[in-house]
Amino acid sequence: MTALQTVDGGFVYGFSAMGSPCEVRIECEAPETALAAGEVVEAEARRIERKFSRYRGDSVVSAINARAGELHPLDPETAALIDYAAQCHALSGGRFDITSGVLRRAWRFDGSDRVPDAVSVAALMDTVGWHKVEWRRPVLRLRRGMEIDLGGLGKEYAVDAALGRAMAVTASPLLVNFGGDLRVSGPRSGGEPWRVAIEAVNEGGGSEGTIEIRSGAITTSGDARRFLLKNGQRFSHILDPRTGWPVPHPPRSVTVAAPTCIEAGFLSTLAMLHGDGAEAFLEREHITAWWLR
Amino acid sequence: MQLTPDATKGALRAALGAMTAALFLATGASAQDTPASSKPADINDDTSTDTSLTRVDSAVLFYQEAGGRVQATEPVVSVTMNDDSGNSINVKLTADTLTGATPNGAAPWTGTQTFITPVKTAGVQTTTTSASGNKVLVTVPGTNIKAAQYTADPNTLPVDHGFRDQRYAVDLNYSVAVDNVSRFTIGGNLSTEHDYSSLSGNFGVSRDLNDRNTTISAAVSVEMDTSKPYFGTPEPMTAMSGATKGGNRTKTVVDAVFGVSQVVNRYWLAQLDYNIDQVSGYQTDPYRIISVVSGTTGAPVRYLYESRPTSRLRQSLYFGNKIALGPTVADASMRVYHDSWGINSLTLDVAERVPVTRWMYVEPHLRYYSQTKANFFHDYLVSGQALPAFASSDSRLGKFTATTVGLKVGVHMGPGELYARAESYDQKGTSHPAGAPGALAQENLFSGVKATSVVLGYSFGFW
Repeated sequence: MTALQTVDGGFVYGFSAMGSPCEVRIECEAPETALAAGEVVEAEARRIERKFSRYRGDSVVSAINARAGELHPLDPETAALIDYAAQCHALSGGRFDITSGVLRRAWRFDGSDRVPDAVSVAALMDTVGWHKVEWRRPVLRLRRGMEIDLGGLGKEYAVDAALGRAMAVTASPLLVNFGGDLRVSGPRSGGEPWRVAIEAVNEGGGSEGTIEIRSGAITTSGDARRFLLKNGQRFSHILDPRTGWPVPHPPRSVTVAAPTCIEAGFLSTLAMLHGDGAEAFLEREHITAWWLR
Repeated sequence: MQLTPDATKGALRAALGAMTAALFLATGASAQDTPASSKPADINDDTSTDTSLTRVDSAVLFYQEAGGRVQATEPVVSVTMNDDSGNSINVKLTADTLTGATPNGAAPWTGTQTFITPVKTAGVQTTTTSASGNKVLVTVPGTNIKAAQYTADPNTLPVDHGFRDQRYAVDLNYSVAVDNVSRFTIGGNLSTEHDYSSLSGNFGVSRDLNDRNTTISAAVSVEMDTSKPYFGTPEPMTAMSGATKGGNRTKTVVDAVFGVSQVVNRYWLAQLDYNIDQVSGYQTDPYRIISVVSGTTGAPVRYLYESRPTSRLRQSLYFGNKIALGPTVADASMRVYHDSWGINSLTLDVAERVPVTRWMYVEPHLRYYSQTKANFFHDYLVSGQALPAFASSDSRLGKFTATTVGLKVGVHMGPGELYARAESYDQKGTSHPAGAPGALAQENLFSGVKATSVVLGYSFGFW
């Protein structure tokens, strides 16, 4: 389902991919230009989704997970992303880990009080931890039972890549937004900034304010609607891959600005992973950020 | 990559930035197919900003003067990196190779003229024999001085064929956004040739006013040059000889420029600059001579090394305009110049960029230049008259007009712009000055040049 709509100053091209509503805002006069830009963005989003989604049986990620225990040579793009993820793991002191998805088998964040017992979490921890992975580019070997999930980087990577494709098609100002992870090509026509609303985290919606950007990317990581509540204790869905347990008291949402979407995404996720130390982390690292408690 | 988290303030962001650049370089998803934010598909749209952009401009210049004179090949690579806070750094590397013949300063004559220069290494049997082989090694009679001799044919402009040089230059500039409206720039330049070196530094400030419609700027620079002639520095106004000469000479240039640029309206940007500089030190051309001729026949009597004052104060006023006329962009500028050597000049320059298609433009260019002569310019000196303190026959110090006609074509190709520019330059001066004695009246004494140049370049950007 795609649609090109006319808005003030240009067009919005909308589609649905990667489990999220996606849009491209194009500030130009010709609808053909807007359509062309929208179509290359959608094509790139679908290509990346097909290649990296763990929900698709034919994706590269599914193939890697299906052959855990075997040596698996990777194509250059996947290898570059795995390298990136490995560096994110090192940079985050082990907090950011693409192997942590296995923990979902124990943790189901459905708003209920079904907190798993310590034994089942500990059992899963054998198959969590990037340091347990053999990675000699371009060959990857997961331990049996391990899985990788590029969900923490894939959508942001898709925004950057798709924006690059679109900028090859048109010089007009562009904004690419995949489910709230967005990046702009530069300022709007006339040097105006783009205005981005931060979505309210509470049910009922609304906006918590707006941010103006002329360049770069914005992402938001949140703990909005996925949690467990037991004996008055809230367990966030932000799991610390070093322990297998939710990080204590993360902000409800962290919005980060960075030059690229993949950087912003990593930083906003990492801030959440710092739990109650999120604000201190953001300030220490001089990250441009907005957070909600 | 070994990365230590939480090491220093902001280190994480820096490491992440480098990682991300490497990622997009490796996947090509962003970098390779992206023709930069600034010169994308429509080559005629240059309104985008350079935020976070790295721009690379590489070009080769071929320059050729008519009559087998100087030829030059000059590759240039310039890289500008912009960050997202408005800071930028620019590095430019230049390499020049110059070959050919340069006028030695003597006036032409009806007979063959012979000139003598020192050899590169005194007393050793080597010489700067040029490709044309018209320099010969001689021993100066009555001495054991080895020297090189060359000749100029009758009725031709005497030139020195030994001319060959290579120049390498590095330019570095850093521009820092202090706040939203102010920036300062700091830069330096180093350039070396076999017989010349130059070192300079500059510092500038600028400030946007009036809702960014006005920008005022000021900059100062200091340059130190060293002249290291192959055979030493000759004593000015002494006879040309095969004896080796004195040591190196230096000069300094202190320069200041003050400018205002103004957005007049949506279609017109104007710029006004005032430039003043003071040059102190050795400004004479150590290889250049001037003929001393007979006041009756005009025949050369002897050749003296030229001499120029050691102080020169230069001032100029520049008025430039960028005007959008429909789909085209016109550049029109004027410069007036005055210096303490007595040269006044006027430059008028017009170029108009015309889009032909979405991926191609053409830009015709026309320039007119006119100057008066320096007060110590002489085509020749007359034997028996008192020698002036300063004298030079360099056509660049004489009265002349010059026109440049050029055309630039740019096409969008791959991730950037491929461009070619061809220009023809023609100097016109006084070929037969009044009062030339004897047969000199029939000789063409103007040694100005006609030259053509071609530049081929490719410019692209990425983030």
